Amino acid sequence: MVTALCSVRVRRGLVGLLALLALYGLAAHIASGRLPTRVSLAVHEIEGVELLPTYSSLVEEGVFLVQAGILLQGAAVSTGRVLAGLLLGSVVGIALGLAMGWTAGFEYALDPWVVLLRFTPALALLPLYVLWLGLGEAAKIGLIATAVAVVMLQGAYQGVRGIPRVYWDAAAALAAPRSLVLRRIVLPAALPQILASLRIAIALGWVTVIAAELIKPSMPSLGYLLALAGAYPRVPTIVIALAAIALLVLVSDGLTLAAYRWATRWMRRRYA
Amino acid sequence: MHRTQPRKVRLQVDDVAFMYEGGTRTHALDGLSLAVHDNEFLAIVGPVGCGKTTFLRIVAGFLTPARGTVLCDGRPVRAPGAERGYVFQEDAVFPWMTVQDNLEFGLRAKGAAPAERHAVAAELIRLIGLRGYERAYPGELSAGMSKMVEVARVLATDPAILLMDEPFGSLDAQTRGQMQDELYRLWEKRLKTVVLVTHDVEEAICLADRVIVFSRRPGRVKAEVTVGLPRPRPLELRLSPEFSAIKRQIWAGLGLAEMS
Amino acid sequence: MSSPGRRRVVLGCVSVAVLICFYTVASNAGRLVDSELLPEPFARLSRPDLLPPTQAIFKALVSLVTGELPPMEGHHTHPSGHVGHLVEQHVTLQGALLVSVLRVLFGVAVGGPLGIMMGFILGWNRTADDYLHPIYILLRSIPSLALITYVMLWFGHGEAHLLIPIVYAVFTTVVIPAYHGVRDLAEVYVRAARSLGAGGRLLFTRVVLPAASPAVLSALRYSLVIAWMTTVGVEMLMGDDGIGHLLVGGGLWSSRLQIGVDPAVIIVGILGLAAVGYVMDAAARIVSDRVTFWARRRRAW
Repeated sequence: MVTALCSVRVRRGLVGLLALLALYGLAAHIASGRLPTRVSLAVHEIEGVELLPTYSSLVEEGVFLVQAGILLQGAAVSTGRVLAGLLLGSVVGIALGLAMGWTAGFEYALDPWVVLLRFTPALALLPLYVLWLGLGEAAKIGLIATAVAVVMLQGAYQGVRGIPRVYWDAAAALAAPRSLVLRRIVLPAALPQILASLRIAIALGWVTVIAAELIKPSMPSLGYLLALAGAYPRVPTIVIALAAIALLVLVSDGLTLAAYRWATRWMRRRYA
Repeated sequence: MHRTQPRKVRLQVDDVAFMYEGGTRTHALDGLSLAVHDNEFLAIVGPVGCGKTTFLRIVAGFLTPARGTVLCDGRPVRAPGAERGYVFQEDAVFPWMTVQDNLEFGLRAKGAAPAERHAVAAELIRLIGLRGYERAYPGELSAGMSKMVEVARVLATDPAILLMDEPFGSLDAQTRGQMQDELYRLWEKRLKTVVLVTHDVEEAICLADRVIVFSRRPGRVKAEVTVGLPRPRPLELRLSPEFSAIKRQIWAGLGLAEMS
Repeated sequence: MSSPGRRRVVLGCVSVAVLICFYTVASNAGRLVDSELLPEPFARLSRPDLLPPTQAIFKALVSLVTGELPPMEGHHTHPSGHVGHLVEQHVTLQGALLVSVLRVLFGVAVGGPLGIMMGFILGWNRTADDYLHPIYILLRSIPSLALITYVMLWFGHGEAHLLIPIVYAVFTTVVIPAYHGVRDLAEVYVRAARSLGAGGRLLFTRVVLPAASPAVLSALRYSLVIAWMTTVGVEMLMGDDGIGHLLVGGGLWSSRLQIGVDPAVIIVGILGLAAVGYVMDAAARIVSDRVTFWARRRRAW
């Protein structure tokens, strides 16, 4: 593991990242005296805007946000929404996807609605959900769940359809009951595809939650922080909020990737 | 065909070593040396994982050895080149090009004129018996035909040496037999130096002048068997005692049989 | 049409028809039956401003397409502020969709090639990949819609602050498939071409590009969906026109939250959006299938 960490590729990657950070710092330093500090928004102009905040102001802002609890609370709320939406959407999506993959009749009946949902950007449903479910958590979580469900449905469906014919036949030849086939054959065989679509769903979930929080902001949340910072405007906060979101996305994606690798370890053969 | 004079050496491999990167730094090859003569058909067999494909890749120029030299026609091998043609185990015909375009590709790379390209491609198509399929796409051909196109494609550039990595490995037994016959026919018509890596001992004996047996990892030359059988070598030859004797020799080298 | 194909169409149509009937009944329940007689949740839901009756949806559709308000019909029709507001600004469904389509196409036309190039560079050159890959992963972790506030500070309130997130979203979506196409899918073909003496331009245009094209084209098709999502998002947030703007109630950004949203308009908007998206996807599929016709599985002989 230590050798893996010290490998050439990791080293170079770190160098690249550090170079980027250094470049940004340099640009911010150069810009601090030069860029205009007056920005015109839709109706009025604002003075004293730092378009490319230096590291010192970022650190200062970051410390403030953390100490005031805004950043951590906001992160917790947003993450909570994503997880809730993910859970709800996955359960519904996987169940429907498996059913559609298994039974052709079910697939044919549901297909028009799935297609409709697939080509409807989840955000377009937001006003509708807010109307039906109020301005609270339900609408946002419902929206995330819808977006996630569409993706997971597709993944589960592909997972089931991708099961080689021979496995179905083997199960039939052994007269296996449906529940057993589901538990021991369908789910494990479809798992890689499901996890692959989970990665996409997580990214989508984050995009949706941030967008939903931007459109219908409510305290505290990362999206609200972003919107507020944008309206004020306070650029260091924007950058920090963006960085926080990016970090959360990275972590959740990394975890899912690890899960995917673990679940597909039986798929990879070693050739001599 | 008999050869009596010492022939010039086309490929000289000296003390080549290669290691796999990664967690376990195992030697794939260690201290490998051999020579291939002009117009010789050399087969390499060995147990699974002995590094025969790695060896071929080094000769082709896809990999760089950790130690040792590889000289092709006296020049050191550093990168892939048209003088060392390579036929792959997988499907390497370009599926987005017609058969004709595939065959002309090597000449196109050389900058040959269209007329020359067409002429060479036409001759090769005739040679492999696929006349009429010039405009077909590889997806429309059977696996065997597609593999023949790949071989012909490599021959189009007139390489000094032909490297083949289990070219018929993915084909079924029957097609494989046909392909072996086809390969022999081609080799007879367009005399070439060939190095064939295969796991099929009988295939090696049917086609080659000399069979080299690689040892287990790390790969070295463990045994060398000259196949003195006259050509052509029809299917029935496989049942002859001479054939079996050679097979036993090779198996001994592989550790599968005792030499009596 | 084959039997399962026919079954698919029939079941699909039946399913759609059943739902429309069910919905019409449910949404009109408030009018047909005295609301006291209905069980509790239904009574609440069947208010016409929550669950617009099918006729209202139809009327909204007509209004938005023709750009004219329907004549007032007594107290059963609710003169919708949303529709009225939109019609007042001469916003039509097709007009809004057109604007959005143009934005989507711009995003794909600019972000697509950029992303493909980046993916090719990373996939081709191991060194560049080592250095740049983590930076890419970092950048793509930032949801493109989140960028909009920051971009607006730089570029003001014109079109740029809408288009940049769309281009960014398409770009980040397309890099990995292009990367995978060059690095993994094209590997054996590149080796074969190299042993035939090919290099440089010939290698790239005749071997690498075609080999990677199935992955790249399917990525572009998928990026259409992403582009639509981002477009609707930026229009809902900050747009002056387009379908997202229509969905949220039209009007200037500042007055956005004051107009009551009419679900009939939303449903009409969503149907229009889905229809356009479906058509674009179908077109993309046809084009990509034609270009990569050779990628079909080989017939087993």
